[in-house]
Amino acid sequence: MILRIKRGKFIRAGAVLTFIPRIPWSERPLARFNAAIPRYQRVLFYVLLAGIVLMAAFLLHERRVAHDRLAAQNDATPLAAPVSNATEPFTLDLASDSDGSVTAVERQIALPTVPSVRARALLERLMAEYALPNSLHPLASGAAVDDVFLLKLPVAASAPSPADAAPEEELAVINLRGSFINDHPSGVEVEMLTLLSIIGTLHANFPRVTQVRFLVDGQPRETLAGHADLERVYPAVDTTVAAGGSSQ
Amino acid sequence: MHSIRRWKRSSVRGWFLLSVGVLCPFLVQAQSTAAFNRDTVVLDPAHGGADGGARINDHLEEKDVTLALAARLRSLLAARGFNVVSTREDDLGSRSGTPLSTDQRAEMANRAHAVACLVLHASPAGNGIYLGTSALGSSLAAVTQNASSNPAPTSPVTWDRAQELYIPQSLGLANQIRTALSRETLPLASGRVAMRPLDNLMCPAVSIEVGPIRSDGSDPTPLSDGDYQQRVAEAIAGALIFWKNQAQPPSSISPALSTSGAGQ
Repeated sequence: MILRIKRGKFIRAGAVLTFIPRIPWSERPLARFNAAIPRYQRVLFYVLLAGIVLMAAFLLHERRVAHDRLAAQNDATPLAAPVSNATEPFTLDLASDSDGSVTAVERQIALPTVPSVRARALLERLMAEYALPNSLHPLASGAAVDDVFLLKLPVAASAPSPADAAPEEELAVINLRGSFINDHPSGVEVEMLTLLSIIGTLHANFPRVTQVRFLVDGQPRETLAGHADLERVYPAVDTTVAAGGSSQ
Repeated sequence: MHSIRRWKRSSVRGWFLLSVGVLCPFLVQAQSTAAFNRDTVVLDPAHGGADGGARINDHLEEKDVTLALAARLRSLLAARGFNVVSTREDDLGSRSGTPLSTDQRAEMANRAHAVACLVLHASPAGNGIYLGTSALGSSLAAVTQNASSNPAPTSPVTWDRAQELYIPQSLGLANQIRTALSRETLPLASGRVAMRPLDNLMCPAVSIEVGPIRSDGSDPTPLSDGDYQQRVAEAIAGALIFWKNQAQPPSSISPALSTSGAGQ
């Protein structure tokens, strides 16, 4: 049987079979292989074969190294002792829709130590109280506060003077979530009670905060849900209101 | 001789400029705060048009409730001899196709020099009536650069703090309405509110928010209940009859009025 390899060149089919390495103890095919293939091609073949084996070994090695590296990253073994903040008493100004009151209530809460994060966590806790089924000022559940920024006053001072530095006053900028605003009930009383509750809670727990400003998703907004003004800067004062709304 | 005449002329001119400088603030103040028209009441049914306000139920919006309450109140007040100015008599309240802004409503109310301005709201939350007076002058007043608790008579009236001069009158009006509603045994609460256009009104102004009446063991009285709206409207109308004779202009305005009268 004759096979055509190139134009005008033919080899026998038996010679093609000799490219397949046979078992070493079989003398006859190997001898035929050595006789039919030039030496340089055989050397090239063995070099390529050795390269394949080496690359496979290298890949296996790299795979093991990568696996070990990823396992080290995901290692959750505690190296440092965890820090747990002890619960402290905090005052929450809780509103009631039924009689228009805002009442100071004490709760034991564990909060972070960083002031701005602490303020945010406190307000989230306040909103969580309103999301409870038996809340007197029912609000939708979910995250309400994106951030709380505490800025030293005066905000636009060019150079702080020693006189200004003594009593440190702060402006709390509360960045509310748009989802919270969209789900907030609409009405003069219910919106004012939410604002009074937030302002009063900040005043009770952050004595340095003297002013409060609200943003919604980082932008100023005209009203909370169509009524209460969100554009003004509110003074942080005691906002507790007796039943029937007789104080302030 | 010539120098004496020139000195006299300049001194007369100086006295004239000085007197104008002294009287001008009073004149401006007097123009901005005229006396009440005791027979005039302004009703502001809040929201309207695309701004529906709070959703009371699936078929009712706040703007419809406030308009219905204003219509009842208007007829009751007209029957008692009041001239009623309403900022909205239909859904939009304007012929331009867009509802009036809160500033435009306040401007309309301020031009009426009314003895009482009532901003009507409705809400599915709360219990009964919520009476709100402006937070200006209270501890919750907005923080501003040059805010003062007692504005001087000669100080210019800023738009955002226009209601500040009328706070005592507004509290008096709220007290009168509260008494009348209490006689009707309607549940009510009151407080200071930070809300437009209440802060921009130059008249005794009260925000009245009507909510459902919730009582233990029975279904709440809905806002769409005609009898409930009628009770509220009659109580308010009765209170305004008393208020019409009690209302006094702000004390800081009285000398200004007399000065302007003398000047004219």
